[in-house]
Amino acid sequence: MKRRWSILLTAIIIVLLIAPYSGISGYMVRFLAIIFLWIGKTGCWNIVAGYTGYIDFGPVAYFGIGSYVTGLLMAKAHIPFLFSILLSGAISALIAFPIALPTLRLRGAYFGIATLAFAEAMKQIILEFDQTVGVRFFEGPHGITLPIGPGNVSFYYVGFVIMIAVIGITYWTEGSKFGYALRAIREAEQAAELSGVNTLREKTKAYVISAFFLGIIGGVEAYWLTYITPHMVFDVLITIQMVVMALLGGIGTLLGPAIGASFLTIIYELLHRDFPYTYAIIVGFIVVIVVLLMPRGIVGTLEAKLRA
Amino acid sequence: MLLFLQSLLNGILLGGIYAAYSAGFSLIFGVMGVINIFHGEMVMLGAFITYWIFILFHIDPFLTIPFSIISLFIFGYLIQRFVINRVIEAPPMISYILTFGIHLIIAYTALWIWTADFRTVTTSYSGFNANISGIIIPYARLATFGLAIIVVAGLYILLYKSDVGRAIQATAQDKEVARLMGVNVKQIYAITFGIGAAITAIAGSLISTYFIIFPQMGLSYTIMAFCVVVLGGMGYIPGALWGGLILGVVQSLTATYINAGLSGAITFILLFVMLVVRPSGIVGKGIVG
Amino acid sequence: MQKLCLGVMIACLVIFLASGISLAQQKFRIGYADPLTGTFGRDGNLVRDAYNFWGDLVNAKGGIEVKGKKYPVELIVIDDKSIAAENAKFTEKLITEDKVDLILGGFGSDSVFAGSAVAEKYKYPLISGAASSNKLFERGFRYYFSTLGKATEEVRGCVDIVQILSPKPKSGAIIGSDILFTALACEGYKKYAAQNGIEIIHSELFPITLQDYNSMLLKVKQKNPDILFVGSHLMVAMKTIKAMKEIDFSPKMVTFSYGPTVPDFVKSLVKDAEYVVAASEWAPNLPYKDPLFGTARQFNENYFKKYQRYPDYVEAASAAGAYAMQVAIEKLGITPPVKEEDRVRLMEELHKQNLMTFYGVVKFGPDGANEAHPPVAVQIQNGKLLNVFPREAAEAAPWYPMKPWKER
Repeated sequence: MKRRWSILLTAIIIVLLIAPYSGISGYMVRFLAIIFLWIGKTGCWNIVAGYTGYIDFGPVAYFGIGSYVTGLLMAKAHIPFLFSILLSGAISALIAFPIALPTLRLRGAYFGIATLAFAEAMKQIILEFDQTVGVRFFEGPHGITLPIGPGNVSFYYVGFVIMIAVIGITYWTEGSKFGYALRAIREAEQAAELSGVNTLREKTKAYVISAFFLGIIGGVEAYWLTYITPHMVFDVLITIQMVVMALLGGIGTLLGPAIGASFLTIIYELLHRDFPYTYAIIVGFIVVIVVLLMPRGIVGTLEAKLRA
Repeated sequence: MLLFLQSLLNGILLGGIYAAYSAGFSLIFGVMGVINIFHGEMVMLGAFITYWIFILFHIDPFLTIPFSIISLFIFGYLIQRFVINRVIEAPPMISYILTFGIHLIIAYTALWIWTADFRTVTTSYSGFNANISGIIIPYARLATFGLAIIVVAGLYILLYKSDVGRAIQATAQDKEVARLMGVNVKQIYAITFGIGAAITAIAGSLISTYFIIFPQMGLSYTIMAFCVVVLGGMGYIPGALWGGLILGVVQSLTATYINAGLSGAITFILLFVMLVVRPSGIVGKGIVG
Repeated sequence: MQKLCLGVMIACLVIFLASGISLAQQKFRIGYADPLTGTFGRDGNLVRDAYNFWGDLVNAKGGIEVKGKKYPVELIVIDDKSIAAENAKFTEKLITEDKVDLILGGFGSDSVFAGSAVAEKYKYPLISGAASSNKLFERGFRYYFSTLGKATEEVRGCVDIVQILSPKPKSGAIIGSDILFTALACEGYKKYAAQNGIEIIHSELFPITLQDYNSMLLKVKQKNPDILFVGSHLMVAMKTIKAMKEIDFSPKMVTFSYGPTVPDFVKSLVKDAEYVVAASEWAPNLPYKDPLFGTARQFNENYFKKYQRYPDYVEAASAAGAYAMQVAIEKLGITPPVKEEDRVRLMEELHKQNLMTFYGVVKFGPDGANEAHPPVAVQIQNGKLLNVFPREAAEAAPWYPMKPWKER
């Protein structure tokens, strides 16, 4: 059974690797690249929410921080792209650390609100910093214009690599002692604590890893879009999409984010043009139906059925 | 000095508005543990009910309030009874996501049928205010402040002095025990949600007279309600007043003395600090975790 | 088996006929990504109405006439949900997947900024009538055109008007929401205030999500400026008026960069909208006309007939942009399906164009901005938007100073 899956997976990876050169349209390349990046983002959220059970409502903060780090480095200091995005990841992770320590002590709804508050605060700070302090640094509402990047194909491959990295980290986590600790935290935190797991340290590790990759993705998307403003890169809608995609695919599963992100992006493409308002209404119904009938998401429900 | 007093008063009145539309959120969480992400939509629906009745039948907004109360009570009751109740036993994450889905449905259906136009209720007396030795007090906001006090007091009386209220409290504390004592928990939950929806609707109705309303306004109200209720203490009704007042005054003074942009950042920083330092809210009576 | 064969034959026949029909009915397919929902949903819908107005008018005559033959126009719109990244994505889709002949611009500087970058890459001329951020013109693009002037220039009329007010105002306060267009409008106010000798005693940008304006305006009221300059969209403009009335703040004049020209403003605020001044690039009484839309006045009245509301200047600018593209196509004799070389020629022609339309002269500078557009100021008097500046174009004298709230 496992061999079948590995062969299938390898086949998919090969197909995806050569896809841009197989004659598909520029739009299709872009579309796939967007899916890869959403899988990456959702996967990052899944690392925290899926495995520790802590529902984060502020992951966009790290995405935004990453966008701005890359934006500032590339636009103002002319630092090359790859170096910039690595720094984006590093700085996001660095900021995540002191945020993680106090917030991960909170439970459930409180953690969610605290993370949301942090993301909103970040947005406002970047918007108001220049005006309040009297400098020209973040450029506030004017936004940052990055140098024009290479075509969609380059971003396709960058997105692909990131997606594989995030899925890879998730896979590694699942099978490691670290993963077991996280799941213990999700199922019964107090018991885990009592049995010697340093829950705060483990949760923080997951949170910082997630922030690191979100920062990188933020940097990549900033360069791709060429222009960023705080409203665009700290948009709570980005968080919302990550959550819905993970839910749909299956929170806490390896491939859940991939399935959920693909599914939702495809639905959006199909419906969106002819039914601009009804797209959101339909997503709403999907969410309600999934929650009521399939709370484990597509992958989760399938896994449960296979096990039974 | 005058500037300070005026700004302070603005903050207090603003706090009253916050409290008025956040109390329902606190009630629902306190009793059922549900974080209602479509809470803002109830504010929006209350506002639009008032708006349409005003536009179509020229009835004064204050007189439309009974309609919003009844409509939203029924709405809240039914939604809880037939939809949310199914996940009440599940982990809280599930209820966030469910209520989030409902938020999408309501907000975008409203957008579809009512379009994105910005609306507001402008009566002949809109914006009227009293001028007491240089301090301006807008009547409509004062009314909302009064409403907030009445709602909190009213809820308090309901919860402590009535049978329904006692049943609600019993259910909130321990629903298994309440059930054993003969309380119809499903019914109580539905009634509580209905009450929460109804009081939120009144706030929405009043808000239509001095704020701009539009179908997608809900989410920012929901976020603000979170902030208010966390500051005041989740599930602790009078806390909605405290939380609202603190936020209102801090935002107002920041906007007047520093800049309005910072008032947004400060709200969230304050919220963050409160959560980390004292999650049970300013008075310490909130439900934690 | 027989049924299957029959079915397949019928299917083939239908497909053959359908493709035959679509080949015979050649038309110009014009696509655009536009915010139909989200923060700018309201404004994006106005742009859609404007393009549809143009498209319906053209199709009523049979279509765009090229070398004696008429080609109807098909407009394809995709909602970008007020998200710039989505606009880029959908513009790319329209170009590479849907293979539209031509592209138009949607609403808003952020969306258009993103979409036009894609259009530039694929060499599709993009004309927009609803975005004016200066940055749009600073990229060295050749394929971007705008019938609107730059944001900082658009507000010129609202400030220059002080030249005809008496007693001449001396001080001003500038506030604006913290998004690109409105921030630029504020810079425009600053620049022209300095040129007109108005002292700016307060200047502040506030979050677009700010719910309560009272305390912020309180600070401004305290400083007692003669004029309040506001960088705004519709929502901000409406909120500002409501707040001003609540805190009883009546400067001698209040002016908005955008908002009052949208009919919702007067409809919702009724009497509270009186005296408000706004920037505009067009007014129906101006002596402009063209063969398609007629005079400015006719455009205005026909728009009302179709949509039961008068157009605002962004709609006029958008319709004029579509018309400018049409004229260039007719002149060059381009027929659908449009090829890349045709679009390159179209771009060059647009740069040479000097066209009189119901909207005024459309003449694109080398950076794509409409050079020939003198900004105008309008004021709401008795529920109507009237041109009050410059004098040569004015329909009425400005009402100045603004009557304080308590006296109305």
